[in-house]
Amino acid sequence: MKITGFGPKKLKDSVVYIVFIGIFLLFSVILFDRGFLTSGNLLNIARQSAMIAIMSVGMTFVLCTAEIDLSFGAVVALSAITSALAMRATGSILLSVLAGLASGLLVGAINGIFVAWVGIPSFLVTLGTTGIVSGVARWVSRLQSIPIDNDLYIFLFGSGDIGPIPILFFWTIFIAIVGSVVLKKTAFGRKVLATGGNKISALYSGIKTDRIKFSVMVINSLLAALAGILYTGRLHGARYTLGENEVMVVIAAVIIGGTSMFGGRGSVIGSVIGALIMGILNNGLILMGLSVDQQLIFRGIIIIAAVSLTMREKKGK
Amino acid sequence: MNDFAIEASEIRKGFDGVVVLDGVDFSVKQGEVHGLVGANGAGKSTLMKILNGLYQMDSGTMKVFGIQKHFNTPDQARENGIAMVYQDLSLVGTLSVTENIFLARNPYRKGLLIDDGKARQKAKSLLEMIGVDDTIHLDAKVSDISVGQQQLVEIAKALASDPKILILDEPTASLSGTEIDILFSVIRKLRDRGISIIYITHYLRDIFKICDSVTVLRDGKTVLKEKAGNTSLGDLISAMMGETSSGVSTWDRKARVESENALLVVEGLTTDAVHDASLCVYPGEIVGIAGLLGSGRTELLKALFGCDRIRAGRIEVEGKKVFIRSPSDAQDAGIALAPEDRRRQGLILDFSIEQNIVLPALKRISRGLLLDEGKSGKMADSMIAHLGVKAKNRQQTVRYLSGGNQQKVVVAKCLSSDAKILLLDDPTFGVDLHSKHEIMKIVKEFAGRGGGVVFVSSEFNEISSFCDVVYVMKKGRITGVVKEFMSEERLMQMVQ
Repeated sequence: MKITGFGPKKLKDSVVYIVFIGIFLLFSVILFDRGFLTSGNLLNIARQSAMIAIMSVGMTFVLCTAEIDLSFGAVVALSAITSALAMRATGSILLSVLAGLASGLLVGAINGIFVAWVGIPSFLVTLGTTGIVSGVARWVSRLQSIPIDNDLYIFLFGSGDIGPIPILFFWTIFIAIVGSVVLKKTAFGRKVLATGGNKISALYSGIKTDRIKFSVMVINSLLAALAGILYTGRLHGARYTLGENEVMVVIAAVIIGGTSMFGGRGSVIGSVIGALIMGILNNGLILMGLSVDQQLIFRGIIIIAAVSLTMREKKGK
Repeated sequence: MNDFAIEASEIRKGFDGVVVLDGVDFSVKQGEVHGLVGANGAGKSTLMKILNGLYQMDSGTMKVFGIQKHFNTPDQARENGIAMVYQDLSLVGTLSVTENIFLARNPYRKGLLIDDGKARQKAKSLLEMIGVDDTIHLDAKVSDISVGQQQLVEIAKALASDPKILILDEPTASLSGTEIDILFSVIRKLRDRGISIIYITHYLRDIFKICDSVTVLRDGKTVLKEKAGNTSLGDLISAMMGETSSGVSTWDRKARVESENALLVVEGLTTDAVHDASLCVYPGEIVGIAGLLGSGRTELLKALFGCDRIRAGRIEVEGKKVFIRSPSDAQDAGIALAPEDRRRQGLILDFSIEQNIVLPALKRISRGLLLDEGKSGKMADSMIAHLGVKAKNRQQTVRYLSGGNQQKVVVAKCLSSDAKILLLDDPTFGVDLHSKHEIMKIVKEFAGRGGGVVFVSSEFNEISSFCDVVYVMKKGRITGVVKEFMSEERLMQMVQ
């Protein structure tokens, strides 16, 4: 019988860093003369990874409770459009941001109620809300882009730089630190992990597992809404296609980051590194001069390879 | 021609140096129903797993219909005509009766496809054989038929491989009275067709209703082998118990002080599985619940802890009426449960010892919004020392602890929730003797400080020697209260 699980566990947790360093070094060498290592390009990667990183923080909480959320991509679009429309209507940054977040809150609450209290698998609930939410986003935007021209909004939420550092970088760091502290250092975080680790034991320990599941669905939607607002600021406008292609990227980032799809184990920092890997990958494939279809294929292959590396653990138990 | 279906002699089997079967002799005549009884850990299930090819014996000989055999896999056992119906049914609820009967091996094919017509025919003839073809519909979904009918389908499934020897493990535990009568008539029919049946049960009275002969195991040895007609309930019980009531230190029993300040009062508690149960726990008292598997003892504790929905009845804690709808309500009322299945219900296996222990006490180890690592570590370390959990340190993952140490962590969890009332569901099951003592010592100390304990155990010597008051449960009801000392033999008789 095995006595400890320390050795392999540590190795498993560090896979994400090894993959990160490996891909970074690889691209540094083969893409050196295409400017991969220039500060401009690296800051660009930080910008491109920011929203993925922020969403991956929320997804970490969801996966830790052994649930999943597929609807957050649509929430990105809905929140962006709601925020942009509110900006146009009221001219108030505060109201615009609150409107965007409120749309996320609403979707998250609907997801949460069905998952926690109606007891429908989160996969199905959020597959359903994906359709509803993206339908609403198309409908209210009439398939048009909604531009934003408020300079402060654009500066704060996406396009600004403080010194040489993009403001998106600060957003990412802020959300990552808060998320990591909440998951690791608070009673709520411990309950999230307990719920995913063994729902019955958690329940028998007096944890209200239904409330925990509700909460993580709301948190994830709220962070997706924030990402939507940041996209709006970065792109100077909102469009219903935002977030469409990010769902798989975010889930892959979280899993590569060492969070278990089966719940009970997760790392916010790992997810953020996972998101950076996705950003570097994206950037590197573009620098290599691959066409969009080729990028899609390569990205898919690399995601499967990286995820297989991190998920081997489950076998042989 | 030999008239024994099975002759096993001098069977020995050990696990990691622990001897489980110590030279067991066991023989079953052709065409008889043979009862197999013994306390938990006596070796019944190990012996059956050897017959069934799941385990291999270390030494000994086994003859099946007079020919020496040694099975390496369940398939080999099946080819030799041995089939087993396990205690927890292995049916798939969403499939039909026919589909379930041929779940593992469906011999009826039309090319690549299953020949449903033939399968149905054969399923029908199996149900006819046991005489239930008019009550169980072949196309009914298994989840739609009663537990008793499921048990019969399980038997039909076992019969599909045309066995000569059928092993039934605790088949009546979850059945009602009429369902048991039907089961018995089915067993008699099978016997009359020449099938030998090994019938394992804790319900000793059933032995006299259905079995032709009986074997009693104790501590891995055969202690009694007799025709059922030549023995009695008392003989069986004393054979099972032996002279030594092994293990648990006795405890100075106090006369019950029925002050008005009861810690826990339960009146008329009714759930789906418990009917009109009333009981009372006073401070400093250990109250035992004696009952067999399926008696409702586990369900009673689950109801008190808010796991099962309460349909009627009132619960008072320290004189105040409480409403318990969830485990978190129960915890707020000062009740903690050490559940029956520590791995599935008690622990989060991939959490560390510390994380498990402090789980019910997160509020108390928080400072502001954050968890206080110092407080958490202190609480865990003191519990680990208090209960004598053997581990490298508090960070060790509980998955890799021994059963006894895992159980200690479960008890530590209960204590850390600051409860006044401890519900313990078979806390010594599958736990080594030393850990047993340590757990019991802690429970005593808890009661000594004025706490109340409700104690369920499948080991009646523990209830007998350990509890101040014993409630007897049968079929979801409390059927007796014992306030004076009672030997485990007496208890054993009362629960039958």
